[in-house]
Amino acid sequence: MERPVFQPVGTAAIELDTPALVVDLDSATTNIERFHRYFQDTPAKLRPHLGFHQCPRIGHLQMAAGNTSGGIAVTSVGEAEVFGGTGFNDILVTGKVVTRSAMQRLCALAQTTIITISVDNADNIFNLSQIAMSSGIRLRVLIEVDSGSGWSGVQPGQAGLDLARIVENAAGLEFSGLFVNDRIGMDGNWEQAANKTHESLEPIIDTRKLIENSGMPVATVTVNGDYNFDTASRISGITEVYAGIYPLMDWKSSQIRPEFSPAAKILATVISHPIEARAVVDAGHKATAPDEGLPVLEGNPGAEATRFSAEHGILDLEQHLENELQPGAKVWLVPYNLELSVNQYDYFRAVRGSKLVGFWPISARGRFE
Amino acid sequence: MQNTLNPKIGTAITDLDTPCLILDMDALDHNMGVMSDYYKDKDAKLRGHSKNHKSPAIAHRQINKGGTIGGVCAAKVSEAEVMVNGGISSVFITSEIVDAGKIERLCNLAGQSQILVACENAVNAQNLSKAAMHYGVNLGVVIEVETGLTRCGIQDFDQGVDLAREISALPGLDFQGIMSHQMMEQPSSAKEDRVIEGRQLIQKILDTKSAIESEGISVNIVSTGETWSYDVAGEIPGVTEIQGGSYLVMETSYDYMTDFQFAGKILTTIISTPREGVAIGDAGIKAVGSLKGMPQVDNRRDLTVESMEANRALYRVEEGGHAKIGDQLLLIPAQQDAMVSRWDRFIGIRNEKVETVWEISARGCHN
Repeated sequence: MERPVFQPVGTAAIELDTPALVVDLDSATTNIERFHRYFQDTPAKLRPHLGFHQCPRIGHLQMAAGNTSGGIAVTSVGEAEVFGGTGFNDILVTGKVVTRSAMQRLCALAQTTIITISVDNADNIFNLSQIAMSSGIRLRVLIEVDSGSGWSGVQPGQAGLDLARIVENAAGLEFSGLFVNDRIGMDGNWEQAANKTHESLEPIIDTRKLIENSGMPVATVTVNGDYNFDTASRISGITEVYAGIYPLMDWKSSQIRPEFSPAAKILATVISHPIEARAVVDAGHKATAPDEGLPVLEGNPGAEATRFSAEHGILDLEQHLENELQPGAKVWLVPYNLELSVNQYDYFRAVRGSKLVGFWPISARGRFE
Repeated sequence: MQNTLNPKIGTAITDLDTPCLILDMDALDHNMGVMSDYYKDKDAKLRGHSKNHKSPAIAHRQINKGGTIGGVCAAKVSEAEVMVNGGISSVFITSEIVDAGKIERLCNLAGQSQILVACENAVNAQNLSKAAMHYGVNLGVVIEVETGLTRCGIQDFDQGVDLAREISALPGLDFQGIMSHQMMEQPSSAKEDRVIEGRQLIQKILDTKSAIESEGISVNIVSTGETWSYDVAGEIPGVTEIQGGSYLVMETSYDYMTDFQFAGKILTTIISTPREGVAIGDAGIKAVGSLKGMPQVDNRRDLTVESMEANRALYRVEEGGHAKIGDQLLLIPAQQDAMVSRWDRFIGIRNEKVETVWEISARGCHN
């Protein structure tokens, strides 16, 4: 695991040992408060998804900001185990749980934590039912419905109703409603995103009505709202919006929702300046995870991060920078997709007012299983 | 942190929680054997790079198998700390170390094991010297020569000669030699192609060696070569050490290196089959990485990874193929150290059963 060298509380952010994943709590708090405020008078409540930062301490800041449904979302059973053990007692697992071992672990966790799971397949429902029964617990179950992404989920309409009936009749399971895992509204302007949200979620609302008309109450309809929270949270029939990018943001998401700013950045050190036009930093792809896009260099006009090999990041420099960015200089990189960067670290260096306040464990890192 | 309990030795692979990182022990031993057989009788020896496996257990296994210099390379000071603490007696840090705190840690290690470090400029050499003097240790210094990666390193012979002279004169430092990295422009499995390209790229560092020696400074170490050139660099007189690392775990972008077998794979489970021709698996970018492309599904010609998100992958099921929920697949990465650096342990598998569990102790050692 990551082995940071101790530095005392109060250390200036720029003096931190590098590479370091630094979270600015001032920006994170502003993001959290702004996001949670949207849900003050909306019919839908917020369920923070903690899989993006994997950090219980940041999760508790989110829950304290109010207007939530009281629960959180995570991706895997492993993550649910971590957050179930760090003070979160209502957890939705958004990934599918299909292996016997994972279902057993989930049911064990359900002894002490309210667990909701999503399904899109009848066999999976039978298996969950069997293990829930033998564990003596009840799992809340949402039917995952595909809103058009073509990934997991049943098609809206009859297929959703059919699965809902199977859950309703399965011992150990409680049919709770519908679930949409797709991120909607990433492209185009706000209006286009809003239209797309309405268009994508209409079949989900219709499915809800279909199920209710068949005599089954639908308590919950949970949809992703990372980019379209303001539209999705106001659609009648949607009870919960889950979202997780907003506390820390990243380059990609701040282009789509610029009212929130990146609060987690990677501090790196220049280790080489071999020719005028190039500097090399100590953060390569292992320290940044640029799988979906390159991190963006912040605060050095005329310099650009252009290549990342395993251990090195390459900065291309305009001529006037030949005497700057010499070995030892520090630079800030804004991750393109922060979720992937967080996955490479075990600690956030939490700073407030540009001073270190602590090393915050990324406790659920790597709990893919 | 991946702090789940280790699987019991002997557990069937089908009973492992997924996704997980497995190591095919037969393939690993084969890959280590290729290196030990090749370097056994050569003047040049392997100094395996620990950045690829980040595990002292694997470093010792290759050293014990033979063909090595008896030490490893490391990319970062923290990685070197893990190797020294794990009992490795010689570690070459192949990156420039410029930060004062890191140089201090380097000196601390030099009190425990032989430490070599890359260097490309005089100011850095002076700082290394001051710290070594202060701590009363000796640091071995190796000049990095740029030979095609357009990254770090000195650019020409004159620079190399000047720096070698400077380092030789500095107290606390032992000028040990020179190093270079190179990438194959047009990957080819034909050894003739690799010989031509390898020799061409490696010639520059040999010329630098001659230039430094003509000043009366001896060059003990010429460290170069990688997995793709292991059998090229090893034949070139003057080359003393090869830095290979990818050969251990292997990856599809090295599939032209047919001497080596794919050893590191991600075990994943199909979790959804939403419609005809499509399946969803529980391993995504966070588990496998996607830097040089999508991973390949091992032994399943009917399945192709079409795209990956952070936490899942979408497979295309070819006509006539079949995929059902609960199916386990093995994924071979396009780039191995990007995959390994996402995991805290290898689960070693032989004959479909868990043989060993190795901690990837230096995962996350970015500093």
